[in-house]
Amino acid sequence: MDNFLTRDNLQKWAPLLVLFALVLFFSVANPNFLSMRNFARISILSTPSLMIGIGVTFIILMGSIDLSMEGAVAVCAVLFATMFTALGGSLAGWGWLAVVGALFVGALFGLINGLVHVGLKIPSFMASLSMGFVGIGLSLLITGGDRIRVEDPLFRSLLTYRLGGFPLMVYVALAALLIAGFIQGRTKIGRNFYAVGGGEDLAHASGLNVARVRVIGFAIAGVFYALGAMLAVAQIGIAETVTGRNLMFVSITSVVVGGTALWGGAGGVWNTLVGVLIVNVIGNGMVVMGLPSYVQDGVLGLLVIIAVYLSTDRRSLSFVK
Amino acid sequence: MSFIKKFIEQETINRRNLLLASAYGLGGAAALRTLGATPARATTANPTIAWSYRDRTNPYWNYIVSGGEAFVESLGKPKSALVNLINEGSSEKSLADVKALLGKEGSNLALAIDANDAPNCRPVVEAVAAAGAYVSTIWNKTDDLHPWDFGDNYVSHMTWSDEGPAEKTARILFDAMGGKGGVVHLGGIASNNPAIERLNGLKNALKDYPNIQLLDAQPADWDTQKANQIMASFLTRYGDNIKGVHCANDTIAYGVIEALRAEGIEGMPIVSYDGNQQAVELVAKGEILATVFTNPHWGGGITAALAYYAATGVFKPSAEPKEHREFYGPTILITPKDAAEFKAKYLDSTPKYDWKDFWGPGNGQIKYK
Repeated sequence: MDNFLTRDNLQKWAPLLVLFALVLFFSVANPNFLSMRNFARISILSTPSLMIGIGVTFIILMGSIDLSMEGAVAVCAVLFATMFTALGGSLAGWGWLAVVGALFVGALFGLINGLVHVGLKIPSFMASLSMGFVGIGLSLLITGGDRIRVEDPLFRSLLTYRLGGFPLMVYVALAALLIAGFIQGRTKIGRNFYAVGGGEDLAHASGLNVARVRVIGFAIAGVFYALGAMLAVAQIGIAETVTGRNLMFVSITSVVVGGTALWGGAGGVWNTLVGVLIVNVIGNGMVVMGLPSYVQDGVLGLLVIIAVYLSTDRRSLSFVK
Repeated sequence: MSFIKKFIEQETINRRNLLLASAYGLGGAAALRTLGATPARATTANPTIAWSYRDRTNPYWNYIVSGGEAFVESLGKPKSALVNLINEGSSEKSLADVKALLGKEGSNLALAIDANDAPNCRPVVEAVAAAGAYVSTIWNKTDDLHPWDFGDNYVSHMTWSDEGPAEKTARILFDAMGGKGGVVHLGGIASNNPAIERLNGLKNALKDYPNIQLLDAQPADWDTQKANQIMASFLTRYGDNIKGVHCANDTIAYGVIEALRAEGIEGMPIVSYDGNQQAVELVAKGEILATVFTNPHWGGGITAALAYYAATGVFKPSAEPKEHREFYGPTILITPKDAAEFKAKYLDSTPKYDWKDFWGPGNGQIKYK
């Protein structure tokens, strides 16, 4: 019994320990790493992937997968920038409506994603992957391959204005994380995600409308993708079709590295926070150490394998497919 | 791995043999016709004009196509008279499209093409020559493939040498840095030819500036976000030692500028490449010191014009010197001094080009290392 508890605890805290170990390692390798300014840099880079990571965490908790985030982010970013410009291009004016609009677009995109998956009974990875392509195509259609600039100083203050050493966007992301934590722990739908992921048959048999939970889950994820899209735009001031590129790999890696099980039912958004930090600390640390970027990609790949191995209680798995 | 190499070699040889055989067959038929009563048809009165390129999602190719359309319109035809063959990054599709069009038009075709990758250029050119049609290529071809080996049918090849212009931007950067301090380079996809040449340009300039140190060079994959991330990490690693940034293209420069903005760093000397609209505006504001324009609109128009006028017999390619068959495209250096003028001339309005001035704006014969 004692042994089991130790293993359980180790699994629970392993990601956080890994994060501390990484920070220690990179600090020894280059003392510049351990500075407030560098932590601010890491946090800026982490915010968009944290938002996407939170969104997909809900989906993975249900035992599904969502691969539509690059398309969803592209659509949300491009439509946000288009609406923002059309509404006068300033948050001080009517521009804030574009923020609401983008969140709505994200929710709608997620809703359609969920409906395609549940209604047409297409496996989530296929439905969401296809929706991702639809999103990329749609944003191409809107932009014609061009980039839309968002230069409103008030909106860009998300990046440029600092509070306690960290830019505003980091606090926005933290607020969103708290909301996600609330949804996950304190609401019925949050608990239902765990119920579906932990044992769908059981949840179904006990009267839970699993299809509805799934669709709502995808819609909530869409809202977080929209948030991530806007933070990504705030980060570089440009909205384009490739705004979401690479966010799929980074966010799913983060979720898994953070310790949320890919088959659902275990983990959560706090794990995702740790996972996102691990991935971005490695990304930053490798350049700080002077390693080339292809090594960095390779290391992240290895990391996923190790993380999944460590976070899996193999005794509970009869087979892997 | 050797079996893979062998397999590829065999496949290449098979494809080459097939094409050579078909070229021989058609050539033989043409020769027979020459011997007979009917004279060989060397040119054609009204060839179909086609442009084969990668995609429409990229400003660069959009400019190329706009040039092709401008040329077609100069002939008094509608824009729709230009046949668009879009290969979506697939060499197989590129070749298949060309063959399909040749099947329809025969020798009655003037083709402008970027063959997508260097090895694909040969089968494309061979297929066109075998059909007796005319082709002009840009960017991608192998060093051993030359227009003059195909008589009149392979009209011309144009490419751009990035090394010289990148060296010039590097010199502008170093002068702005006061001739001393550390510089970082953010490059394109590591294996891309332009990415290699642009870094080489920087290295060439470094030889004349002993007090400038290249701190680091990392591939940013022509990507704004990746550049943003790498620049942030550079700032951690080298801190205040970075006195200037050499970017392989404009999209990278945007990411760098934002990474600096996040840190409240202003006035860091940055140079760039490509001459995109936004970059030229930043040059005008002095936020970028220099960028380089390769005039894709002219490139798109003139490549189609070369193939067309060769097909109609306005000029005879085989009678032209080698520097008219393989040449470098134009590059224009843009600095804050001339940015406004450049923008008014090239970006706000499109200049009218004389599409029969084939070689005027070019940059001389291609040199092989």
